[in-house]
Amino acid sequence: MADKNGFFDLSKTTLTRRTALKGIAAGAGLALAPGFVRYSQAQSSAPIKIGFQSHRTGIGAAYGRWYEKTSAAAVKAINDAGGIGGRPVELVIEDDGTDPARGAEVVAKFAKQHKTDIVFGTLFSHVVIGSAPAAGENKIPYFVVSEGHHVASTKLNRYVFQPGITDVKSQIQSMAPWIAANAGKKVTQIFPDFAFGYDHRDYLPPALKAHGADVIAQIAIPPTESSFTKYFPQIPAETEVIYHVMVGPAVLTFVKELGEFYGSQRPQLFGFMDSLEATDINSPGLEFLDGSHFWEGSPRYAQANDSAAQKAYRAAVGIDDNGAAVGDPKDVSTASHMFGCWETLYVVKKAMEDAGYKGPEDRAKLVEATEALKEFAEGPEHPQGAKTFNGKIHQCFGIQNISKVEGGKLKVVHKTKIEDGLYEAEGDYTTQAL
Amino acid sequence: MKDHDAGVVLASATTLALLPTSAFAHASDRGHVLLLPTGYYIAGGALAVAVSFLVLALLPPAVLDNFWRRRLPLFTFGDAPRILISLISFAGFALLVAAGLFGSRDPLSNPLPLVVWTLLWAGFTLLQGVLGDLWSWLNPWYGPWRVASRVFALDTAKPPRLPSWLGYWPAFALFFAFAWFELIDPAPDDPARLAFAAGLYWLVSFTAMLAFGYDGWSRRGEFLTVFFSMVARFAPFERVDGRLGLCWPGAKLLAGEPLPQSGTAFLLLALSSVSFDGLSKTFFWLGLFGINPLEYPGRTALIGIGSFGLVLTFVLLAAVFALAVILGQRLAGDKHSFGEAAGLLVWSIVPIALAYHIAHYLTVLLVDGQYALVALSDPFALGWDLFGTANRMVEAGVVAGAQSAWWLWNIQAGVIIAGHVLAVLVAHGLAWRLHKQPSRAALSQLPLTLLMIAYTIFGLWLLATPTAG
Repeated sequence: MADKNGFFDLSKTTLTRRTALKGIAAGAGLALAPGFVRYSQAQSSAPIKIGFQSHRTGIGAAYGRWYEKTSAAAVKAINDAGGIGGRPVELVIEDDGTDPARGAEVVAKFAKQHKTDIVFGTLFSHVVIGSAPAAGENKIPYFVVSEGHHVASTKLNRYVFQPGITDVKSQIQSMAPWIAANAGKKVTQIFPDFAFGYDHRDYLPPALKAHGADVIAQIAIPPTESSFTKYFPQIPAETEVIYHVMVGPAVLTFVKELGEFYGSQRPQLFGFMDSLEATDINSPGLEFLDGSHFWEGSPRYAQANDSAAQKAYRAAVGIDDNGAAVGDPKDVSTASHMFGCWETLYVVKKAMEDAGYKGPEDRAKLVEATEALKEFAEGPEHPQGAKTFNGKIHQCFGIQNISKVEGGKLKVVHKTKIEDGLYEAEGDYTTQAL
Repeated sequence: MKDHDAGVVLASATTLALLPTSAFAHASDRGHVLLLPTGYYIAGGALAVAVSFLVLALLPPAVLDNFWRRRLPLFTFGDAPRILISLISFAGFALLVAAGLFGSRDPLSNPLPLVVWTLLWAGFTLLQGVLGDLWSWLNPWYGPWRVASRVFALDTAKPPRLPSWLGYWPAFALFFAFAWFELIDPAPDDPARLAFAAGLYWLVSFTAMLAFGYDGWSRRGEFLTVFFSMVARFAPFERVDGRLGLCWPGAKLLAGEPLPQSGTAFLLLALSSVSFDGLSKTFFWLGLFGINPLEYPGRTALIGIGSFGLVLTFVLLAAVFALAVILGQRLAGDKHSFGEAAGLLVWSIVPIALAYHIAHYLTVLLVDGQYALVALSDPFALGWDLFGTANRMVEAGVVAGAQSAWWLWNIQAGVIIAGHVLAVLVAHGLAWRLHKQPSRAALSQLPLTLLMIAYTIFGLWLLATPTAG
């Protein structure tokens, strides 16, 4: 399974979505396989049970599917290498329907009924926010992969962690130096008129200011809008960069109409891949994006200089060079976010092993061991790149990618530094009682 | 959760709702449809329905009637295997309920939700519409009922009758409960929850069948049988006295007896609930209640609005339908009672209901149908591979991207338009049964045709307008 560099090479094995979900049955089967790493170090070979709060249905289902694929691949890789502390890992999936109230029920169910060791995997912010109190009440560590600033804001509780994906505040802030230096000094923001857009509205201007650039206009678009031409005259003529973060089904229409408005003479365009996750950038209507730039968490397209770890990760999850499912080229992944599932599971492994975790009675020790983590080196466990972790705010900080749309692909032209995205901690979870 | 705790959670959730959030409402496949010239399709669809009405008005009714009456006999077969098939179906159902209780918690890995919602509700309805009444053989009650009747020596020849004043109201109420569970309940896909609901429903229906006879309860109480047998009337297959024959699609609807008011209401509810499923996800509907579709709050938060909408769409459709029938009667100087006219003309709703069903569930069928194939091979998540499909790759890409969106849109629009054209055709034939004078028959159809044109526009708009998710 490991190549000469010591990286997991799963490209030659067939990983189906079910493989890692077989749980106990699969764990037992693997343990008997000849030549397989035996779970010998463990006092108990009972599996570590990870409750996967999954957006299987509801508005988040497209993301949920890829989160599930990535998590299943990570669990397989972890199990193939001996599991956590010598014990196999089992994912127990419960669907939260992308529904905050249901999310809270699911967390309680994991704690009380399935008795999982932790809860993991939530993406949508409102589900995280709705579920976090249940994690706190049940004193069960809750590892989310949401990118929201809610964990780092320290307004949740001590049991909630986001160690596998940088939060949106840090992402936005780290875009500023590059935008100011390379795209332009006069920036107009176009964003949907609700919380998601407000993150960009609030965090970008001060970050740009610090690098000598200015937001000269902010255009908030009502979320139910499906035609945008009437808003474009509000873009000041001197605009050098349009910073756009539209989301929802009307994104294609937005880009198309922006193209019709500007023709070939346009300012620089800078967007966030959140707008086009799981969507082919070569779709009709998106032609206008050619030559524009995007934030990407982890690159969708394979890059010429991809590390061996990145290659192994892509092969393990089953995404091709265009970031779509191997064997199903129209099924475009959510590459900018789903790597966080992989990395979070490796953080859980590290923290459990550091804590000498044996079972639910050690959950408090697991919280403290996670808080004690400082940094994660780039490699098979963290293929997206190196990260630091702030145990006080339970949030990791990693590098971000800026990619240019070129020839129908996204080519990474800049990688930010971790320092670009650091900000002052807004609180300290470690002062809360366990 | 204790009430006190719930209060604390609610309070903290309210505070936290003010936190900045990330949103992932993605540029879904509806985004590609938004770029298609759907307006032309809507106009074209409305025109097609209107033109078919005009053409029919000009054709001599006898020509049409002769056309509809044509049958092509195929072969004869008996009812003997029916008990066995139903018993096998019951065994399968029992296994599925067990899988729901003890198998994977993941609704896309557990076969129960996939079979109930995808294969049975979305898929089997389509089969009934195409192949005829397979359900009367495949339902999981007939076989067990026959066995139980034999064991308990029940008098199956003369069971106590379900009071006739009840009409189809038991089926109506149960269908409403089913639609509510499917569309409004927070977690109808949850395997255990669904196992309880489906198991309980089987038991209640079985008990009712023991009490009122299989035919008595399944014709007016068991909503699936009522729904499926109505849909099967559209199919181009007919079986009379054991002999199977071919007929024109929809021809059997023309021979339908007038439904009582409760039966009329049932058919209209079947159409309105599928319509509401589409409507409830549109930006338009969510916007009416100040809900941001890009920050869709989840099903729990929408229980009140959803329940209201489910009732509202039924009431609106029933009112508009009744109005169209009354106006038609006035225009034609009709002497039939309103109930009789409505009960007969409502059969023309079947092709529309079927078309909505196909158009609405097409993508679900294409993707979740694949998950169902995988799950069925390993119903208890024990690593089995019963049918060799356990490791089959699920290709979600079949419905993704601009090209798929174009194909899907064209199929959906084609089905919606064809369904309405057929509905006009059926309504015309039914009207001729009420009015022997062709000009009166045509005149009586004018308001109903307007309703069908409006519903064509509505159906296409539902598929073209921005939606959440």
